[in-house]
Parts: sequence; C-alpha cells; structure tokens
Amino acid sequence: MSTVIHEVADRAIVQARAHDNIVVGDEIVRHRRATRLIHWSVALTFFVALFSGMPIWTPIFGWMAALMGGLDVARVIHPWAGVAFFVASVFQFFHWLGDMKFEPGEKGWFGPKLLSYMRWETGPSEGEGKYNGGQKVFFYMVNLAALAFLLTGIPMWFPMNFSSMLRQVCILLHDITFILMLVSIIGHIYLGSAAEPGTFRAITRGTVTRKWAKFHHPGWYRKVTGEKR
Amino acid sequence: MSEQALDIKRASASVWGSRTGIRTTATVAKYIDASTCIGCKACEVACQEWNDLPIVPTEQTGTYQTLPGLHAQYWNLIRFQEHSTGDGEMAWLMRKDQCMHCAEPGCLAACPAPGAIVQYANGIVDVDASKCIGCGYCATGCPFDVPKFQEASGKMAKCTLCVDRVEVGLEPACVKACPTGCLNFGTKDDMVALGNHRVEQLKANGFKDALLYDPQGVGGTSVVTVLPLGNPQLYGLPADPNVPVLVRVWKSFIRPIGVLAAFGAIIGSFMHYTKYGPKEPPDSDAGDRAA
Repeated sequence: MSTVIHEVADRAIVQARAHDNIVVGDEIVRHRRATRLIHWSVALTFFVALFSGMPIWTPIFGWMAALMGGLDVARVIHPWAGVAFFVASVFQFFHWLGDMKFEPGEKGWFGPKLLSYMRWETGPSEGEGKYNGGQKVFFYMVNLAALAFLLTGIPMWFPMNFSSMLRQVCILLHDITFILMLVSIIGHIYLGSAAEPGTFRAITRGTVTRKWAKFHHPGWYRKVTGEKR
Repeated sequence: MSEQALDIKRASASVWGSRTGIRTTATVAKYIDASTCIGCKACEVACQEWNDLPIVPTEQTGTYQTLPGLHAQYWNLIRFQEHSTGDGEMAWLMRKDQCMHCAEPGCLAACPAPGAIVQYANGIVDVDASKCIGCGYCATGCPFDVPKFQEASGKMAKCTLCVDRVEVGLEPACVKACPTGCLNFGTKDDMVALGNHRVEQLKANGFKDALLYDPQGVGGTSVVTVLPLGNPQLYGLPADPNVPVLVRVWKSFIRPIGVLAAFGAIIGSFMHYTKYGPKEPPDSDAGDRAA
C-alpha cells in the first residue's frame, strides 16, 4: 500500500517539478525546471568568465589560464563568456523580477539586518515571502553587476577604439564590480550549500521539504500550503 | 659600444626578471637633436627596412608627416609641427616619435601577461610577441601612446630600440641612417652629457629655453631629445609624463585588495561555519520560533 502511494507520489513530483509553488507529499516545488536551467546558465557562464578573467586580473591566479588552454585563449574566451553571462542574466532578471519586489521593512537588508541574519539571530519575519530581503539585494546586485561588466568590458575588449582615460576608468570599475561580485558569490554559494542544509536541492532537484520551507520562508510556506499559522 | 647582455631586469606580471645582478650593464640611450633634424625621414625608412615592416599607405594630413600617428607596422615617425614664433615667422618643429624606453615603463606595469613586456638590463623595453595576449593594457599604461595593436596577429608592437642590433654592438638602424648626425647612440650617461652640451650651445645661440627632454616622472627615458624651444608640448610631447594614476590604483591597490577579499570571503565562510554551524529547522515543531 505504502509502496504504491510512493510510486504515485514520485511520478507526481516529476511532473510537478515543472511548476513552482506546488506541494507534493512532503515536498514543495521551489524552483521549476526553467528556473533552475536559467540559474545554471548564469552560473556556468559566470564561472567561464571567472576562470578566463582572473588569470588576466592578476598573475596570482595565472594557474586558472591552464583551465582555458592558456592566457591568450583566456583573453579570447573572456569577452564572449562575458556576453553569454550578460544574456543569461537578462533572462534571469526578467524571470525572477516578479518575486523580487521589496516589501516594507526589507531595506535593512542592505546592512544591519544582513549582519544579524549571518549571526543566525533573526528568524524569518512573519511576512517573509518566497525570498528574503538579502536574496533580493543579491538578485539586484548580480544583475546590476552583469550590466556594469558589459558596459565597462566593451572598451576593454576593443581597446584601440576608445580613449586611454576611458579604458583606465573602465578597468577600475570592472575591477571594483568584480571584487564585490566575487565576495558576494562566495557568500551565495556558502549560504546555499553548507550553511543552510536543505537549500542546495532547491536549485538542483527543484524541491524543498515542508520543514525547510516552514523554517526558512514561513510566509511562502503558508501561502503555498494554505496552512494557518 | 660594447656587446650588451640581454639579461632581463624586469618582466611584466612577474616578481623577478632573469637578471642575477652579478654583471653590471650600462644603460643605453638614443640621442635625438630636434634642432638639427631636417625631416628627411631616412630614419623612418631605415626602421622599416631593418625591422622588415611592410609599408603602411601614407595618409595626407596637410603636412609632410607620413602618418597621423605611430602604427603597429610603423614604429618611427617624424612629426612635423608648424609653430608661429610670434614675430610673423614660422618654425617647422620636427620630432622623432617612437617608444621612449622609460626606466619605469607604464606598459610593463600595466601588462597582465607574464613576460610579455620585458626591460633588459641595458634599459631597452621590448614586447615578447609569443607571450603577448593583445589586451592593450600596455597602451593604457603608456603616457606616450606608443604601443599599437597589430590586427593580423592580435599582438602589440612598438620600437625595440633595435635590440637585435644593440646586442651585437651595433647602433639602432635609424641612428645608422641619419645624415645630419642629429641621432646618436651610446650609454645613457654619454648621451645625457652630449645633450647637455648641445643645450648649452643652443642657449648661447639664442634658444634660451632649450632643454634636454629626459622626463623624470617615468624615471628618465632611454630616448633623450634636445628641444631647442624648450616647451615639450610644442613638439607634441607631454610636459610631465607619468604612468597614469588610475593604472597605478588598480594595479597596485585595487587588485591586491581584491585578492585579499577573495581569500577573506573563503576563509570567512569557514570561520563562520565553525562558529555558527549550519542553520537548520528545530527537530520538533514545538521549537518553531515565535516571530
């Protein structure tokens, strides 16, 4: 009996994973397949750009050039990986935008609230939706960074068509954007894996457990399950 | 000129060059006297011939100048400037434009490819095309706008101070070809002495502002130019060239900070995990936190 139910439930999950915010048995679909593919397109193109850009950035990371087939190959790949990253980011931006409206009280996520969150001090507030303020800040930061990388990257790609002063400024802004992005991405990967167990599967299998949803995003959990508090 | 060792004093994106420091090598320099240049362009032709550079079609700019500026296949250009002396007279200022071979090269500082730009022990700054990735950072770092992008190869190119001639004890091709003796080649000390002597002569003959252009902002150059009218800007030279401040900022300040930030974020994540551990739902619903 229980075996049969499980089989039915498994099939249902496979089908349900194509749709967001659906409860299937003990699991909730958090990211449907399209969402996950967009996320991994952004991640893959970012990492190709990262591994081709960092050996040019400083010789300390020169060993990364070997992954690209040499520094000269990295120089050829990097701008194209950057363009691919930007295109993926555009899809990402419009795909997620609807869920990323700031709610009152979420502005604090730019500073103090992020710090207290990182000390595991603040639990999710009652109104916590599908994404918390920190995730929204990260979302806008990444997409803004993608635009900044593109705009500052073009004069670096075709240096002889732009003035020396513009190139100097662009390299500086490209650098600063990259440092902010790199630190944020390391934090993103940490929070999405080791720091918060049960999170990583949301972006691979697409589903999270009820328990996880209720704990991390109670507002979203109640909305999806229709459960009263 | 004694044979010059091709020991590398400094290489781009590298900690050390290949110089052991055991041998001492004199810094070499090219001397240019703008007061005796007649604009014959023999140096341009000699440069093209010796370096086997295919000719670039001339572009008419309204003067006798061969091209509007230096080119990846044209490393030596006599610039013709028309200058009104203020008393109704016109002076034609001719200046040999080429790589200045700075003692503190901005191109080398900016270059991200290890060993693509080298400074030999004798002061010559050269591009190793086999290591160049054609990013153009050298052009961004150069206060004289010298390195040029070669479309066909995707590499940067510029004057080598005929390092292949200098290493076997010959003077650069342009110096060999110059018919008026306005070019000379030797140790930096000798060329500066020659330049100072010429400046004194010019001053005694009415050129009271004459000076020897050896800009200290880039540590001095291995191409020194006697400017009879003094003011370098009249000749299209920057008055006080320096490696651009922003290049210094991102190369020596922002990037080291970025490297520390990257490792800091990784170490910080580990430290955070060891202190706070994973954030997990409580075992029982009774432990569900109140808002």
